[in-house]
Amino acid sequence: MTADHIYATGLRNQWHPVVPSSFVAPGAMRKVTALGEQWLLFRRSDGTLSMLADRCPHRGAPLSLGKHLGDRVACWYHGVEVEGDGTVSSVPGLPGCNLEGKKLVRSLPVREVGGAILAYFGDEQHPEPAELTLPEPLTEPGTDAILCYAEWEVPWRYAVENLLDPMHGAFLHHDSHTMYDGDTTAKFRIRETDRGYFFEKTDQRGVNFDWVELCHTGIDWVDLSIPYPPSAGPGGPFGIVGMVCPVDEQRCGVFFWRYRRVEGWQRDTWRFLYKTLIEERHWEVLEQDRVMLEAMPADADQRENLYQHDLGVVRLRRMYRAAAAEQASA
Amino acid sequence: MTTTWPYLNVHQSRTHEPTPYEYKLAATLEEVFTKDGHELADVIRGLNARQVHAPDGAPWTEDSFRAEMHRLGA
Repeated sequence: MTADHIYATGLRNQWHPVVPSSFVAPGAMRKVTALGEQWLLFRRSDGTLSMLADRCPHRGAPLSLGKHLGDRVACWYHGVEVEGDGTVSSVPGLPGCNLEGKKLVRSLPVREVGGAILAYFGDEQHPEPAELTLPEPLTEPGTDAILCYAEWEVPWRYAVENLLDPMHGAFLHHDSHTMYDGDTTAKFRIRETDRGYFFEKTDQRGVNFDWVELCHTGIDWVDLSIPYPPSAGPGGPFGIVGMVCPVDEQRCGVFFWRYRRVEGWQRDTWRFLYKTLIEERHWEVLEQDRVMLEAMPADADQRENLYQHDLGVVRLRRMYRAAAAEQASA
Repeated sequence: MTTTWPYLNVHQSRTHEPTPYEYKLAATLEEVFTKDGHELADVIRGLNARQVHAPDGAPWTEDSFRAEMHRLGA
């Protein structure tokens, strides 16, 4: 793989989110595209999930057109049966065929976290999954998180860059329930951490979308915080853990967990208000991002004139470019 | 469950379209939080003052409010 291909379709040797867990019901299969490749998600009735390359090892037909046999999938074309770990268990047309018992289909390690399926996309030199440290807001007791997933006609990196660009909040989202406030001028700085970096305003905190932290912990994610209006009740600001699935060169899946430090009746009340009224307002904000990013020209990042507010984006691109080059040369 | 691209679904957390009662309760809660405060006692007082009662018609108590939020928000 070339560095350009990796840059365009997502870094390897790390975890990425794929789709929400609910997209694959018990006993069901689902075809998905991720990192520019075709995959089959396959769940047994007991909930066990497998992710296989969507390609029969016999003649290359898509396994996703096949049949779910409980603990295996059978290719529709010639009935070749493949287990969840990628082993061919049976070739019905030629019993005893030497394909049987061989692990011929690529199978990715998967985990389910906060209602999303995560998978490890290793290259040939790195098949063993990287150590994964999950975002604290998705695991900490006393923090409640609700997933929102959407599919955008946008290269994955534009969706991440959008998150490393807090200043757009004061303009693009000015007419929203949460980001109407705060100064429309700001100074920013980058603050390094042992797992990534903060990109933050130096002169305003807790008013709009004033900071964002990029984290590499075996998976790439961002953390940020946005104040709620008083109508959202007790619990203070809501946070977002954001992740992006590189679907292919032109498309991505975005995962936003809105989280809040609430427990007991405060948690229940937030969830009730969220379902009834707030989720739709959050969605309107996200749609503003989608409309803007989908309208960006294909050469947007080739003909720019950047200024100080773009340091977070520049840092991100440099990091991903370097990682893609390193993976391509390995 | 849709399988067509793109998945763009406004409501992902709901199990049902809220009932008129749920909409009214939610809107009143937002008003109470905005005007009366964020403590549980403020909420109970605010809801009862606005005559927005529990489903059985009784004024809210802290216990009945907790139980109803648990039912609606869990």
